[in-house]
Amino acid sequence: MSEMRLPSALHAAPGSGAELLSELGLVLYCGAGIIFIVVVALALHATFAKPSPAGTRAWIVGGGIVFPLLTLFLLLNYTLAVGSAVAALESGTALQLLLDCFGIDAQKRIPPPSPGTMRVHVIGKQWWWEVRYEIVRGDTSTAVLANELHLPVGEPVELLLTTTDVIHSFWVPSLAGKVDMIPGRTNRLILRANTPGLYRGQCAEYCGGQHALMALYVKSQPRREFETWLQRQARSVTRPDDAFLLAGYEAFFKGTCPDCHTVRGTPATGKSGPDLTHVGSRYSLAAGTLRNHVGTMAGWIAGAQDIKPGNAMPDSEIYTGRELRALAAWLGSLE
Amino acid sequence: MPQLVHKPKRKALLIAAGALGLVAFGALSGAIILLSGAYSTAATTQHFKVTHQVLDAGLRLSVRASARHVRAPDLDRPGMLARGVACFRTHCVQCHGAPGVAPIPAARGMLPIASNLTQTAREWPPEWLYYVTRKGVRMTGMPAWEMRIDEDDLWATVSFLTRLPVLTREQYRRLATRAEDLTCRTPTGVPFEGSREYAKVIFRQYACHSCHRIEGVVGPRAHIGPSLLEWSRRKFVAGVLPNDERNLIRFIRDPERVKPGSLMPRLEVTEAHAREMARYLLDEGAR
Amino acid sequence: MSLRALIAAATLVLTARQSSSDVPHRITGDVQRGQQTIVRLECGVCHVIPGIPGARGRVGPSLAAYRRNVYIAGRYPNLPEVLVRFVRDAPSLAPDTAMPSIAMSEREARDIAAYLYSLE
Repeated sequence: MSEMRLPSALHAAPGSGAELLSELGLVLYCGAGIIFIVVVALALHATFAKPSPAGTRAWIVGGGIVFPLLTLFLLLNYTLAVGSAVAALESGTALQLLLDCFGIDAQKRIPPPSPGTMRVHVIGKQWWWEVRYEIVRGDTSTAVLANELHLPVGEPVELLLTTTDVIHSFWVPSLAGKVDMIPGRTNRLILRANTPGLYRGQCAEYCGGQHALMALYVKSQPRREFETWLQRQARSVTRPDDAFLLAGYEAFFKGTCPDCHTVRGTPATGKSGPDLTHVGSRYSLAAGTLRNHVGTMAGWIAGAQDIKPGNAMPDSEIYTGRELRALAAWLGSLE
Repeated sequence: MPQLVHKPKRKALLIAAGALGLVAFGALSGAIILLSGAYSTAATTQHFKVTHQVLDAGLRLSVRASARHVRAPDLDRPGMLARGVACFRTHCVQCHGAPGVAPIPAARGMLPIASNLTQTAREWPPEWLYYVTRKGVRMTGMPAWEMRIDEDDLWATVSFLTRLPVLTREQYRRLATRAEDLTCRTPTGVPFEGSREYAKVIFRQYACHSCHRIEGVVGPRAHIGPSLLEWSRRKFVAGVLPNDERNLIRFIRDPERVKPGSLMPRLEVTEAHAREMARYLLDEGAR
Repeated sequence: MSLRALIAAATLVLTARQSSSDVPHRITGDVQRGQQTIVRLECGVCHVIPGIPGARGRVGPSLAAYRRNVYIAGRYPNLPEVLVRFVRDAPSLAPDTAMPSIAMSEREARDIAAYLYSLE
């Protein structure tokens, strides 16, 4: 895999919801800063200046009632405006944002996607992300992957966010605000990246021991490239011809791997772990914990509990050295 | 009468100061000799006579104290002598010699020199001989034999030793020839099975610590084989097999078979000993 | 170059030089770059490596005090040329090993070896 060049998470991608939010944050922080300085200055003045009864009432009414009322009124309107803008950008109507705020039944409310909007299910799990692409160009087959999301540049993609265990929060700081993933509920987020690039996301709701090691990558790429990628992800794999890779394939089935993992096109249909059909193409292993190459793959298979203690993947304890190497090579070859 | 009270007090103080001074002087001179490298560790430099006498007496007293609970069995049972000879010619004669037989050249250059057992056997009771043979003697070339000679044959060896002083050159030669077909038996079981303390003895008795670092075993900081510290957390044996008891035993007993070309030699480790070693290494977490 | 020839050559060089304790570890690699390469390749997933954050893997042996190790993979003398080859392509020297061959350049392998030899 080539070198990853990630923009800072503090840098909001242009034209994204994150940019509006970052602007809002800036205004609020600067405003608060100015008010703080003025209040401190007044406090110092009150402490050190000669007492004079003149204008006391004006100060109390002006500074204590009129100013806060006015400021808060303006700010509220401003934030609501930004909120509407973000919501409009992300999901079409400001009303939906309000509905979200009041927790109105999301399952029923989610309409079919507007034509041209792609739907992707992202399911938070301890401690990784399952990503399911619903529609591949009219075809109903699904492409399932993990810890990685690809978007066509400049197009809105509708994410349906949920979880199968505890509360997680989907957050790609450069692209959008946080949206919680709540058991029994599906939340929605429209994600749009206006520039091609690779962005890092992170679970933003404490979800257990390895919460910190629950990251994901979002890749935005030109439409054509994206489609090639998606078609590839939807494909199944076949038994390898190469003897060494075949040894790896057999090692996979010698172990308990298929109990939890699916590799489409093989008898492995386990559901509780990430789909490994194209694991070799991913940027990372173990939800953003490790770079993905044959060495980290072997290390992760043999020592998953050392790397991410408590995660659902056990240390493999049955492979010989050569089997482990072959297994890592086979998985790495699934691109 | 204040002086009378004062005087003994001053005397006691003087004695204490003198003693302290002596101790300080001793420690200082010891440190100087050690740090300057003046003490010779060469095997060609002999001990002072007094040093030798003190060490010899110390050995005798220590063996006497340690062997006081040892009870010798009947040493004249049939067949015992022959097996004793077999063990002696396999393991002992190389360093100790025998009537009319010199120790091998390497053994002649040792300091301390291996004792001539014809004299030791005259002066020491069988229990002492047994104890020293079984446990060895620290800081001499005498190894412990309890891992290599089984209990019966240890006593058989002692039985032979008690007869050593009265053998002529010709008699010894004949006994040794007759015992040529007999082998000295190695122990099959382990005393103190499952004891972590005894497992450390086993490691040391197979010289594991000359190449590996092992939890709880004092030795050189060896970097020849991999460190075995925190072994239970390791995933592979020799980088090749999954790290479990069965594979560990397999590798310890026959490294070449598990990993062709491995520089770890075959140490003739018994199954029982290998199991104790494997359990010790894998059970570190249970400490 | 075959391994046998490699070791023979290295041994010749060593004996010719009247080995001082430093000779076996003479290597043209950059320690600091080696450290960065180890971080980037995440060797710490399988090895404990002093000076590398988070390197606490137990799949392979600890590489602490690597300079003092006498052997590589329990089979070969720990010589620079052997180590450079081993870090890149372990299976070519130890066919049964669990350590895969890792894609890296000759120079990166030299840097890694240099870093390992800096561990006293």
